[in-house]
Amino acid sequence: MRNLLFQQRIAITTFAILSLMIVAGCYLFSITLSKTSFATGTVLLISIFILASYQLRKKLSILLIGNTSAWLQFHIFLGLLTSVVFLLHMKMQIPDGLFEFLLFLNYLTVFFSGVIGWLLSRRIPHRLLSRGEEVIFERIPLHRRKIHDKVKSLVLESNASGKGAIPDFYDEHLRTFFEGPRNQLRHILHSERHRHELSQKITALQPYLNSQEQAVLQQISEQIQLKDDLDYQYIFQAIIKLWPFVHVPLTYSLIIFAVYHTLAVCAFASTSG
Amino acid sequence: MTDEMVESLLKAPPFSKIDPSGFKRSLPLRDILKNDVRIVGFDEGDIIVRRGDWGNSAFFILSGNMRVELEKKQTSLPDEILGRRTSRVKTFWESLTQLWNNNSEPEVREIASVSSSKATFHSRNTHGGTRIYLQEVSAVLDKYRTARLEPGQWFGEVAALGRTSRVATVFSEGVSQLLEIRWQGIRDILRHDKEGSLKQYIEDVFRERALSAFLRTDPLFQACQPELMQRIVEQVEFHTFGNYDSHKPFKQLLEDQNQKTDGREPVIIREGDYPSGIVMIRSGLARISQRHYNGRRTIGYLSPGQIFGLDEIQAEVKSLTPVACQTQLSAIGHLNAVLVPTTLVEEILAQNSSSKSSGSQKTKKSIRSTGSQSVKLKDDILLSQLVDRHFVQGTSLMVIDLDRCTRCDDCVRACATTHDNNPRFIRHGPILNQYMIPNSCLHCVDPICMIECPTGAIFRDLAQGDIIINEQTCIGCAQCASNCPFDAIRMVDIRDAKGALIVDSQTHAPLTQATKCDLCIDQRGGPACERACPHDALFRVDMHDATKVEGAFAS
Repeated sequence: MRNLLFQQRIAITTFAILSLMIVAGCYLFSITLSKTSFATGTVLLISIFILASYQLRKKLSILLIGNTSAWLQFHIFLGLLTSVVFLLHMKMQIPDGLFEFLLFLNYLTVFFSGVIGWLLSRRIPHRLLSRGEEVIFERIPLHRRKIHDKVKSLVLESNASGKGAIPDFYDEHLRTFFEGPRNQLRHILHSERHRHELSQKITALQPYLNSQEQAVLQQISEQIQLKDDLDYQYIFQAIIKLWPFVHVPLTYSLIIFAVYHTLAVCAFASTSG
Repeated sequence: MTDEMVESLLKAPPFSKIDPSGFKRSLPLRDILKNDVRIVGFDEGDIIVRRGDWGNSAFFILSGNMRVELEKKQTSLPDEILGRRTSRVKTFWESLTQLWNNNSEPEVREIASVSSSKATFHSRNTHGGTRIYLQEVSAVLDKYRTARLEPGQWFGEVAALGRTSRVATVFSEGVSQLLEIRWQGIRDILRHDKEGSLKQYIEDVFRERALSAFLRTDPLFQACQPELMQRIVEQVEFHTFGNYDSHKPFKQLLEDQNQKTDGREPVIIREGDYPSGIVMIRSGLARISQRHYNGRRTIGYLSPGQIFGLDEIQAEVKSLTPVACQTQLSAIGHLNAVLVPTTLVEEILAQNSSSKSSGSQKTKKSIRSTGSQSVKLKDDILLSQLVDRHFVQGTSLMVIDLDRCTRCDDCVRACATTHDNNPRFIRHGPILNQYMIPNSCLHCVDPICMIECPTGAIFRDLAQGDIIINEQTCIGCAQCASNCPFDAIRMVDIRDAKGALIVDSQTHAPLTQATKCDLCIDQRGGPACERACPHDALFRVDMHDATKVEGAFAS
């Protein structure tokens, strides 16, 4: 832990020093009456390519080209550093041209999706560990189906004809709950209101049940807990799995836009003045 | 074995020297010989045991001569001619081409590699089985240093009883006849032989050949004078604890997690007793526990080569009054240990302190380092779980810190890419605190999967210590998979490049092979799973390295 704190301090200090150096370098360059946009743009384009190569590193896991964790640390560091270069490149202004504005938006979405992904990768593991059984994401539907089947058999067990307090309760309040992932937003917001509501309904039903039915309802309650935990696991695992599908395609579009922008600038703009 | 053969064996040494009256009526010596012993014939060059294999039987030479290789490392018999897979590390280009050369079908094997047609070793069908043999024995004798074993001598008994690997390769020099006795047979004979001649023989062999070198692995004995070492070697006692095949009940214990394992473990030194010497573990693992309210709390464990009881003797030397053990030592599974008597330990300490006062920095360090050798953790509940579930067996235990793991499965993908698109572990397993121990090979210090492998296909790589499976010699018997208490070995149907199942040419039954994690032995940079984890969540721990264990489970 002490080592981690030390590493973080080193990274923050290096980031601050490099940012200052970039700002100072940009200022000094501007004194020479050169266009700083060319310099910052070149740095930015190279940085984007380096940042995108992280995805390639993940594919080349068998090659001895450094640990992926070291690459990720560098990816985050460089990604944050590009924001400084980007601001200098923009001269702190929102571009007025349509294409430049789209490029601007594209960069922002890539940058912020990266930051959000970074925060999610720090936060979600802890939340996944805090509740429910650890289940492989691809197996969650199977587990959900098993729970649903168990509940259906319990409902049938309570009353073979399919009529009665528990079957009615199941049809009214539980069928949709067990059919698929539910209450996803509530899980994300850490709300347990849906569970309280269900448990209140179960409590309200109990006076109308005989002892056998009460035992069945108790077992159904346990399955509700299991299913809810599974939903919790499902939504957070889904977020962390789906997040790259936002960040990576946006990166590819950013590369295309940036390359086009560079070609256009090189073709039509002067490098001095 | 026929009754006539048993009769003739009982009339000749070594069995004629054993008193049959000491044996139980239900298990007489005659029955042990009948059930656990067989006479095996060997032709010139036949390999009987290979260095590094796990042995479960010992051999007694009836006729003919054997040759045992003497040198290790560069001058030892090469792995290829012993029928062992040579671990060749892939080049950068070979690794890169895996990206597009990997098969899309699962578990594809080259038929040639399964049928051994391209094998560099020689095998033949003889004496009712397939044997690997050395083709030109005279050339081997010229090239490599060997010693002759003659009729009346035993070999392989130390490895069979100690559950350790064979230390040398033995092959037949000319036609020979051996008596092969299973470890169960040796165990029963040792247990009931009143005169103890066989036991004495085995102990003497170990004393003569290996004890001094074994003791010197510990810093305490490294500075011992030759005369003192000689006396230690003569006076050391050998002890065995636990059931040899304890992995079978352990499998049941794993299924029933409510049962406590420590209650059944044989106690080596009880808490509160005065130690009669220091215990040094030869093979197996030992638990150190302490009384805690009405139960016992695990506070550490010992691995082979580690010592227990030295602190108490050191305290006794200082205070000049006997010091009782503050902790209890018990055997986890099967354990072999040596006991060095207190008087001799006191002599070593006296000798070391005199050399310390004369300024030997090395001795100073060695005494200090022997104080507390056991692996300890601040979180004793986690430690207890690791010991109870036998994860402490692992020399390369895969651990995933779930507080860091994003469940991205990059580790599984990297494993699959490395192994021709076949992942060799499942990211699923028991969770202890925030640590998941996935379903992957632990590369155990006591690899019970290697016991009973009929072809020696599963073996420990001598260079790196990993347990690996040789696809060329694996016959798919599933013995290793059923022995593994962690279910880390999977039997798979093997296929050709087109995806068709490879079948036995005679029975037409699909051929299966055992698969498991091989720590990416053929890749540069070690396990791909570990390198592929972007969050440093997956790591491997040698559970016998106290510093690494403490560091890994620190948070």
